[in-house]
Amino acid sequence: MANIQDTKSTSVIIGKIVVYIILGIFTFLALYPICWLLINSFKTTQEFQLNKLGLPGKIDGYESTLINYKDAWVRGKFGGLILNSIFYTVVSVAFIIMFSFMCGFAFAKLQSKATFALYGSFTIGLLMTLQCIMVPLFLMANWTGLLDTRLGVLIPYIGIGLPMGVYLATEYIRSIPTALIESARIDGAKFFRIFAQIILPMCTPLAVTIAILSVTGTWNEFMLINILTSTPTLKSLPVGIQAFAGALSSDYGKQFAALVIGLLPMLAFYLVFHKEITKGVAAGAVKG
Amino acid sequence: MTKLRKVALVALIALFSVSMVFAEGAKEASADGKVTLRVLNYIDMSEPNSANEVALVWDKFSAENPDIEIIREDLFNEPFHQKTESYVASGNVPDVLYMWPSGRSTSLHTTGSVQDLRPWLERDGLLDSFSAPSLAGQAGGYLGELPNGVTSSHIMFANTKLLADNGLAMPETLDDLIAMVDVLAPKGIQVIAMDNMDSWVMQSCLFSLVVGRYGAADWYDRLAAGEIKFTDDWFVKALEAIDTLYAKGVISRASLNSPYGNCRGEFAAGKAAFLIDGDWAAAAFMEDITTGKALLSREQQANDFEMVVFPALPGEVVSNTTSGVVGTGWGMSADLEMGTPKAEAAWRLIKYLQGEYVQEYRLSTGASFPSNLNVDVAKVIEEKNLEPFIGKRAEFYNTYGTTPVIDGVLHSDVYNIINVGLQEIGLGAKTPATVAAEVQKAWEAWAASNI
Amino acid sequence: MSDKEKAQRAGVNGEITLGDVKNEKKIRRKELTSKGEEKLAYWTLVLPGFLIYFAVMAFPTLFSFILSISNYYRGGQLFGPKAVDFKLVGFGSYAKVFQDEYFYVALKNNFKIVLISVFGQIPLGFILAYILNRGLVKFTGFFQTVIYLPCVISTVVIGILFKSFFSPTGAWPEVIRIFNPAYQPTVNANPMASVLLVILWMYTGTYLLIFIANLQKIDSSIIEAAKIDGASEFQALRYIILPALSGVIVTSAILAISGSLKSFDLIYVMTGGGPANRTTVLSIFMYDKAFKGAPNYALANAISTIMVIISFLLIGLTKLAEKKFGGKE
Repeated sequence: MANIQDTKSTSVIIGKIVVYIILGIFTFLALYPICWLLINSFKTTQEFQLNKLGLPGKIDGYESTLINYKDAWVRGKFGGLILNSIFYTVVSVAFIIMFSFMCGFAFAKLQSKATFALYGSFTIGLLMTLQCIMVPLFLMANWTGLLDTRLGVLIPYIGIGLPMGVYLATEYIRSIPTALIESARIDGAKFFRIFAQIILPMCTPLAVTIAILSVTGTWNEFMLINILTSTPTLKSLPVGIQAFAGALSSDYGKQFAALVIGLLPMLAFYLVFHKEITKGVAAGAVKG
Repeated sequence: MTKLRKVALVALIALFSVSMVFAEGAKEASADGKVTLRVLNYIDMSEPNSANEVALVWDKFSAENPDIEIIREDLFNEPFHQKTESYVASGNVPDVLYMWPSGRSTSLHTTGSVQDLRPWLERDGLLDSFSAPSLAGQAGGYLGELPNGVTSSHIMFANTKLLADNGLAMPETLDDLIAMVDVLAPKGIQVIAMDNMDSWVMQSCLFSLVVGRYGAADWYDRLAAGEIKFTDDWFVKALEAIDTLYAKGVISRASLNSPYGNCRGEFAAGKAAFLIDGDWAAAAFMEDITTGKALLSREQQANDFEMVVFPALPGEVVSNTTSGVVGTGWGMSADLEMGTPKAEAAWRLIKYLQGEYVQEYRLSTGASFPSNLNVDVAKVIEEKNLEPFIGKRAEFYNTYGTTPVIDGVLHSDVYNIINVGLQEIGLGAKTPATVAAEVQKAWEAWAASNI
Repeated sequence: MSDKEKAQRAGVNGEITLGDVKNEKKIRRKELTSKGEEKLAYWTLVLPGFLIYFAVMAFPTLFSFILSISNYYRGGQLFGPKAVDFKLVGFGSYAKVFQDEYFYVALKNNFKIVLISVFGQIPLGFILAYILNRGLVKFTGFFQTVIYLPCVISTVVIGILFKSFFSPTGAWPEVIRIFNPAYQPTVNANPMASVLLVILWMYTGTYLLIFIANLQKIDSSIIEAAKIDGASEFQALRYIILPALSGVIVTSAILAISGSLKSFDLIYVMTGGGPANRTTVLSIFMYDKAFKGAPNYALANAISTIMVIISFLLIGLTKLAEKKFGGKE
């Protein structure tokens, strides 16, 4: 008996070690790139090219420097770009959540023959890649005069975020018992009132989910905004980062500094809200 | 309460949208007697001199020309090309824009989105101010952009000190290069460093030269006339030369995993005897004015490094040539009509950008080699005490003949096949004969609908 | 649903909740007007979102299909004085796509990504979620945060990082040299492997979170009870936990498939599809036709239409699997 207990506990220990190793590898893989980026952002390009892995200042004649950050910030005009990014992200995410709930409620709880076609078309949207619609979008923005305006950026951002939002909202609201709505109807409530007073409060966890998914998507988007705007004051942070981080970029130091600047807002957002995020992503992501 | 909130929300949204639309509208209308020019500029923000470029080039122009207001869009690399294609597709091209003579700017030329600048040069009597090759017809058969200069897409940078330390002389022939592998490889030194992950690099920086050596400077004309084919000796031999370089280890097959720009540091640190790149790479070794650091010091540039062309190939029909193409430059939208204030303003800007002041500036940063004949290169180098590499580069242009760069003369339907085929050869996955046959097929398909 | 049924349903509910005559009258009056109100409410709620969606995604998709069967090869203006001669020419561009050897390379790579997502990320995400949720290790909060971290970093950053990491002068050869000092970097025989590795690492976190949330919903007392009855950890997993999660697994698979086919940013930045298109995927293949060299929009749009069709087929397959799965539950 004692023997069995022993072998069991050794196998448990071995199992634990294996588990820790796997988790350790994941932790390393997640943190290493960020550390590598951070370390290299303090090197000049010349030092980076001679020493791509080590700490700054290990090669004669070079020492760690902050000049990359100074240069990148001043040249990239990142201050204004960050404000633009916040504007685009906040406004479009607010609309995505609002419209998603409205559509989701209608699709899930109201009777209409149109639902099949309309909801179906939203689900197709889940499969579309941005590259497919880029050129047509540009042509349309040009015809409508929305090219190079803030509105011309917001509308596509909202439209692109909607399929995911509508899909999640519809599935989520479907799981809310219909009896709740019906009893409210019997009490004489109109649909708008039911939507505002019953559905919306119940959807807060879902709002967090949609918000997180669309915030990361919108914040990092660069291809579309680059095409749809020309005036520098209308562009967003990723466009600014891309100006430093192209494949042909000649100055690695500034490229890395720019990448760190681009990384920090999202990283801060994540570290502050990580509890809500890890909970939120899952809460609405899958009908359980 | 909720109703009130909703109304407030709707009002806010309406206000937002309206204010945004109006904000844009107001901008368009601001031209009170001023001419507004929309400019698409290509600028690498991380490049050491880019901050200066804005101050020394653009701000200076604005100060000298208060009647012209410039709305400048700065882009770099892929985002730039995406934007260009979108502009062409919409027909809404900026007034003045940075362009290539062909390659990724082909559609600007062939759709007639930009205008022929020759009439402008003629009108102002400037035809003699620019070197003859830089005024040749471009992808659309006309002068779509006024180039900065002529670019050599190939330079073989040589570390002469490393060669001497290992008892090696400068190679005269391909066999000399191959013989170096046995000497250098055991010491962990590569013979030729190249970054071949991007498919254009091999084609542009080395293969174009090899094709020129076997096909002579007029290979494209004879090809277009139907006198020669890609499956003939000249092209197959050129592919075989690349095959040999990989097979003998002169160029490592691992270079196919190396992103562009990666091996410059290796080369500067003495881990390779040669580096093959374009002439634009010279600037990467020079002093970074923001940090005062350089990969190669002035002494090293002067004494330990040389710029040469690839050595003689067995059976080549021309020798000592490099591959070159007209450089990038500035084009003008076809919508602007000569004589209108806007067109005149745009032309004034282009003349300024290719004038002596800007070209001298670009020479001193190593960005390009002037096309404007009024720039006295030797004098500028001496007066400004420029780094040795700029002088060596000037000498390079004077020493070697030039044959065309493949992606400068062929259409992308054809050169894309060549680019990928070269990588297939690098992987050892296809033979030169197979690649040649595929290229010929692509050429015939393209020629059938275009010639 | 007919009015009668609706009235019936409302009535049934009414009986349970209220059930007096006065209210019943009120209900009947409501029912008469409610159909119109429902219709109005439906369209007011749906239209703003749908119109934007239609303008931004649905219309361009149709537009893209029309371009794919047109002669709009080289771009140019569609309207106005300089408009190109626009004609529908049929499915020639599709034939061209199917003749291109690299289309099949891209297709194969896309399927590799689908496979690594469905059979790599999801099981790995599940195992990690299980370990963390069952409290088998300490610092669960920390590990959870770290594993999801890659999902919030922009793919551009990740792509650039791993491009340097796997280059012949990067960290990867150094790591190998620890085990084999004589190692000389040679060309990667299977360059797609490194891309797949990064994809596996990047997105496992998403599934980890999904599984953790759903594991937490399973009543832990059932598991404890089973253990007291002598069930091993593995048996608890096999007979209690996995069956409870089968629905979640299928939904995750749908998310994974649609995500896999869209993968663009990471590969675009990391390898650009090279060397020799060995790491290309359909979206990059399409992008190259539209934006690299002289564009061929008809061809590019044909590829994107093919992509949509493939996604449909795959999702349909998963739904079929779900039906089978669901039957067992």
